[in-house]
Amino acid sequence: MPNRIAVHPELYSPDSAGNPPLNGGKCRACGYVFFPPQSYGCESCGAPPEKLEPVQLAGSGTLHSYATVHLHMGKDIEAPFTIGLIVLDDGPAISSTLANRTDEGLAIGDRMKSVLVAAGTDQQGIEMVELRFAKAEERK
Amino acid sequence: MKKSLRDMRPVYVVGIGLHRYQRLSETPYVTLGLAAVRHALADAALEWRSVESAYTGTAVIGMAASRPMLRHLGATGIPMAQVENASASGSTAFRQACLDVASGLTDVSLAIGVDKPGPFAMAPSKTRMRDLVGSRMVPWTHFALLAQEYMTRWGVSAEQIGMVAVKNRRNGASNPYAQRQKAVTLEEVMAGPAISGSLTRLQCCPIGEGAAAVIVASGDAIAQLGIDRKRAVRVIASVSKTERVYRGAKNWDAELTRETVEDAYREAGVGPGDLDLMELHDAFTIEELLYVEAMGLCAPGKAAGAIAAGEFDIGGRCAVSASGGLIAMGHPIGPTGVGQIAEITRNLRGEAGVRQQPNAKTGLAHMVGVGAVCVVHILQKEA
Repeated sequence: MPNRIAVHPELYSPDSAGNPPLNGGKCRACGYVFFPPQSYGCESCGAPPEKLEPVQLAGSGTLHSYATVHLHMGKDIEAPFTIGLIVLDDGPAISSTLANRTDEGLAIGDRMKSVLVAAGTDQQGIEMVELRFAKAEERK
Repeated sequence: MKKSLRDMRPVYVVGIGLHRYQRLSETPYVTLGLAAVRHALADAALEWRSVESAYTGTAVIGMAASRPMLRHLGATGIPMAQVENASASGSTAFRQACLDVASGLTDVSLAIGVDKPGPFAMAPSKTRMRDLVGSRMVPWTHFALLAQEYMTRWGVSAEQIGMVAVKNRRNGASNPYAQRQKAVTLEEVMAGPAISGSLTRLQCCPIGEGAAAVIVASGDAIAQLGIDRKRAVRVIASVSKTERVYRGAKNWDAELTRETVEDAYREAGVGPGDLDLMELHDAFTIEELLYVEAMGLCAPGKAAGAIAAGEFDIGGRCAVSASGGLIAMGHPIGPTGVGQIAEITRNLRGEAGVRQQPNAKTGLAHMVGVGAVCVVHILQKEA
């Protein structure tokens, strides 16, 4: 039995220490790096699936924009929550829920890192974790 | 050698008709659609039997919408098809009608847009490519992110973006086909409720029901069917593009619009300084600022100042969304792009009443859609 499971098992491991990496993809034909991973074909050059390979993307990047969502109809999270657009150091721009509910203290250009946060338990009572991003602690 | 619309025979808008955009009602889509088509036929002084093909822009009412509606005008046996292209469904239906006439396949074709809100499926959710945010990322949050980035980059305030809603609601207040026909103050716009980021409810378009119809015809048809040539407006560009991979560029929405409009300018032989009016995809206020800049109407970061100075008002250098745009006229999806053509035609004919842009000669219609797609047309009054 696993100790805990990821809400998106295809996108990150629930057991990473530190800033968990993201599962992305890379095209061996043109070098294009993308997220989320897929094995349909390269969006950039059209190379077939056999040219695509999994690649781990570091869980670090820069905040490009953010928005606190006040109205949300979905059931998996309650508003308010904050979405960040983060340009990963490894290339792709991704959207992620941020660890803090509000945008207090956030500024475009902030350094960001991935974190695993508790996301309740599944039907067997196993702890679930979800990858979000948080402002990186400033080095003293 | 490949050709653009401009290289084929001329296509003219000869008839326009609308059913008011409104909140979801008990009215069947058939009633909405037939009202728009009958108005367009009357406007062109044409009989239904003269129409040789029909394209229905519709995204959400379901499979096989066209004939169960249009047969009530007389089942003439013409080719009909639905066109689904997300928010640009109506624009794409119009493009197909134009291409039929331009190529010589028909002399008279119809584009109609009709939709009613209801349950529907989104194919992108079936690609089995899950990202981190899923349904937490909705269109208003996508544009709230772009708004925050824009405000930070250019030192623009949330209120300056909110002015788009004030302008477009003022225009919509005199449009009998608009879903929202009441002007609002900036205080009302900013008072909320907050939706996402700096976007408030009144900075988001209403999605209701409605219908819009446009009839296009060849020069031959105008002569043979006794259509009033002075009220005909020529379609001088039709361009449809989809998003590419924009490495390094962060705002893919603006890039797609920039590329599509550039192609349309080239095809029409006009530039941004030639546009007297335009209807653009202002589903959310921030989009108007992003797109007028991407279209070259003003320098990057300068749109808020131009709006404040009245440059995009009716009577300004280019009237932007004289109809009220999506913010005021509404965005019933299928009809929206067809309704834009109707508003531009009305202005180029000089028949827009209090929404008339003085001496309007050239107008541009712009829609974007999830996917992402962008469809642009340029219309011109012949001298």
